[in-house]
Amino acid sequence: MGRRLLGAWSLLVYVFLYAPIAVVVFFAFNGGRQVLNWDGFSTKWFGEALSDPTITGPFRTSLLIALVNALIACVLGTALAMAIPKMRTWVRNPVDALVYMTLVTPEIVFGISALIFFVQIGNWLGLSSILGFWTVLIAHVVFNASVVALVVRARFVGMGQTLEEASYDLGAGPISTFRQVTLPRLAPAVLAGGLLAFTFSFDDFITSFFVAGAGTTTLPLRIFSSLRFGVSPIVNAAAAMILVLTLTAIVVAYLVLRRTERKELAWQSR
Amino acid sequence: MSERPIWERRYDRRGFVAVSAMTAFLAACGGSTTAEEEPGGGTTTATDQPQLTGELFYYNWADYVNPETYDRFTQETGVTVKKDFYPSNEDLQAKLQAGARGYDIVVPTGYMTKILVEGNLLQEIDWSRLPTVEANIDPKFRGLPYDPDDRYSVPKDWGTTGFVYRTDLFDGTLTSWADFYEAAMGPLSKKVTVLDSYPEVIGSALKKNGFSYNSEDEGELEIAKGDLLALKPHILAITSSEYRQMVIAGRAAMALGWNGDGALVVAEKPAEYVVPEEGSEFWVDTYAIPVGANNPDAAYAWIDFAYQPEIGALETEYHNYGSTLQKALLEGVIDPDVLANEDVFPSDEVVAKLEPNNYGPEGDSLRQRIWTEFKSA
Amino acid sequence: MAVEVARLEPRRRRFSAAGGPRYPGWLALPAVGWYLLFFVGPLAILALFSVAERVGFSTVVYTFNLDNFADLWDPLYGKVFLRTLQLAVVGTVATLLVGFPLAYYLARYATRKTLLLLLIVIPFWTSFLIRTYAWLIILAPDFPLFRALRWAGIVPSDLQILYTEKAVYIGVIYNYLPLMVLPLYAALERMDWSLVDAAQDLGDNAWQAFRRVTLPLVLPGVLAGSLLTFIPLTGEYLVPVILGGDLTVYAGNLIGSQFVTSRDWPFGAAIAMVVVGAMTVAVLLYARLARREEQFGG
Repeated sequence: MGRRLLGAWSLLVYVFLYAPIAVVVFFAFNGGRQVLNWDGFSTKWFGEALSDPTITGPFRTSLLIALVNALIACVLGTALAMAIPKMRTWVRNPVDALVYMTLVTPEIVFGISALIFFVQIGNWLGLSSILGFWTVLIAHVVFNASVVALVVRARFVGMGQTLEEASYDLGAGPISTFRQVTLPRLAPAVLAGGLLAFTFSFDDFITSFFVAGAGTTTLPLRIFSSLRFGVSPIVNAAAAMILVLTLTAIVVAYLVLRRTERKELAWQSR
Repeated sequence: MSERPIWERRYDRRGFVAVSAMTAFLAACGGSTTAEEEPGGGTTTATDQPQLTGELFYYNWADYVNPETYDRFTQETGVTVKKDFYPSNEDLQAKLQAGARGYDIVVPTGYMTKILVEGNLLQEIDWSRLPTVEANIDPKFRGLPYDPDDRYSVPKDWGTTGFVYRTDLFDGTLTSWADFYEAAMGPLSKKVTVLDSYPEVIGSALKKNGFSYNSEDEGELEIAKGDLLALKPHILAITSSEYRQMVIAGRAAMALGWNGDGALVVAEKPAEYVVPEEGSEFWVDTYAIPVGANNPDAAYAWIDFAYQPEIGALETEYHNYGSTLQKALLEGVIDPDVLANEDVFPSDEVVAKLEPNNYGPEGDSLRQRIWTEFKSA
Repeated sequence: MAVEVARLEPRRRRFSAAGGPRYPGWLALPAVGWYLLFFVGPLAILALFSVAERVGFSTVVYTFNLDNFADLWDPLYGKVFLRTLQLAVVGTVATLLVGFPLAYYLARYATRKTLLLLLIVIPFWTSFLIRTYAWLIILAPDFPLFRALRWAGIVPSDLQILYTEKAVYIGVIYNYLPLMVLPLYAALERMDWSLVDAAQDLGDNAWQAFRRVTLPLVLPGVLAGSLLTFIPLTGEYLVPVILGGDLTVYAGNLIGSQFVTSRDWPFGAAIAMVVVGAMTVAVLLYARLARREEQFGG
């Protein structure tokens, strides 16, 4: 398969990925209230989205939950992925089954049972309502730790152990071996898993809907709740801003990183 | 309250958004002074309750309260409103049944109120704390079958189920469910949507055949099922949310839906909203206070507050669903065009043909089975 | 030449059979603890429900009866499950076909890998609903692109994509692509491309080299990506609702509607137990087969 052909295909896939995004950004400038009818150019929705606390508040909540969730999921999932291959069969099989079960359980089922479960825990602890930020976070981590574990394991299994053995032979402890030998090679997978975990959490509706208590509204909850009236331009404007913000942040971070890398390279080659 | 209330002026919905943003801005600039100037505006009893503090957790459909009403309520009572939203009655029910607590007001539709009562999920209403409601409510909304003694709910808004069609995309006049089915299976095939809600859709087929909207008779429901299965291949989509925009954009030419959405389509395009001749459903959304409410005082204050004519007018002008206040009280306060709009405030002759959704668990099970068959057909 | 390739093989085999570096088993404890507490706990409640009974509109009465499972034995539900399986299989294969070349290109040729990788994920930070609604606009017959294509005679004038299966699959590929591409990339990225070059130097054509060298090494990635796509697809229901016009019932809708619309939690729990059980067994078998393949086949 030719490199060119692959490149062209990839370009097409990126067009496919960004076509709806272009539509969202385009319609954020729609002056009318009806999403599907173009009604003149206007930037007013951006101002309204920024000044609407029912959008900015949930945005902050979602961001925080997604970040913390990704962090915990990465730690738990990576540790799990590293432990599983060397387990004895009678330990590994049930653990494997558990991981897969968290992934195969339909969200709505997990959402409702988790809600009942948390309410029970709250009753035992004598709390009237423990639903909120923490319950959403805890529920998100269940699924996302498994996602990270699956992604990391796909890479870990094929890594071999020669380098680690060498590291042990040279007198390094497990911690420094992990830090200096394993982690650098695992990093792309951890990064990929973490990204997925962040994305799932930031975008999750069903689980969040059930385990969020009074007053903890995530962004998808806010957006889904206006389903009755279709997506309003204010929501499009908010989405467009989130997108432009992340795109800018990532491109800037990328440029900065590349620059420092170049400097390092230049320094090394000296 | 010397100035003329801003909401007495005529706005279309687009203009309205701009105005509400402006008032929000002004309110923010005015800060607490506005609140201090107006406490004596005491047309409500809410301000007579000095113990009011804290927050009101209002769990509601999205966009079902005029944003200005929140500000007015906070100004008058000092209670801030925290909002959460649910997309359907069923989601609300699932959440409460699973044990979520802490909401002070919820807004179930009548049939769901009945189900929540059966599940012991609602508190009894103390009507002595709702003097404004007692004084202003239209008596025809009292003692409705879903809550015969008004023990658990206070009506919020009401409306009808029918269908809306584009008069420029269809030749002829449609007035009945029979017309609806005939057009849907003929010239408007694949140009029709129905609600994603089985009481309404199955009810339409029951009514078309002259049965009760609330029939629990297996034979009658079987006949209705036959009509629905015949209709299925001609349906473009089953949706409760997008149909308004689809009809406005012309992707669909006809939709089985609610009157508020119908009124909005009519306002934008040549179209007509029909309450079918055979009869249909009339629904009432209600205020209810769930068990485990943290601040029921604030809930009572809100409900009573919302029954002032100015607030009722503000609300109906925003969402186009009929107010449950006595009509006479709204005159002169509400935009006369809204009051005269029969799609928003159906006439008594129309209402006489309507039934509220009120079937029992047996009828519910039968409907669920039919609905699964209809959808997977 | 065969001898030369064979010389490559043992090295590769030792690599994968080794199953990764050695780290202690207790590292699994935090995650397993988390699962036991926050996943098995809720699931136990579900199991309790599945043998309970619904009375009236919504009340759950705890008993022990298996009627809920017996009720599932109904051609109506059989149809639903078959349709779900079809959606999941076709959806996964389609996503793999679209995603693999992209992941391959990224891992082997692309220069700004991290950036390009991030660009795959970023659209997914706009909320599922907004994205899918955007497809609603794009796939509508009145979208300018379609008007132009119709006008130019490239597509038939009665082409309807929205509210058909085509729209559902477009939505599925779109929403599941990162799930497929990221694990694929993670696996491909560790490839030693010199092995491929070596195989080709030694006379394999591109396809042989791909099959003998690349494929066995990326199989764990294909497996992870397919699982991550296939599994949630069996519970998918929002894409068919929004882009398919909600004209069919899949297992996800069926379970969801028992819990929400129908308020029959015991029946919903029974369906869920069956689905979760069957899926777990299927996935474990698949994982084991694939692992064996990875170790001994190729």
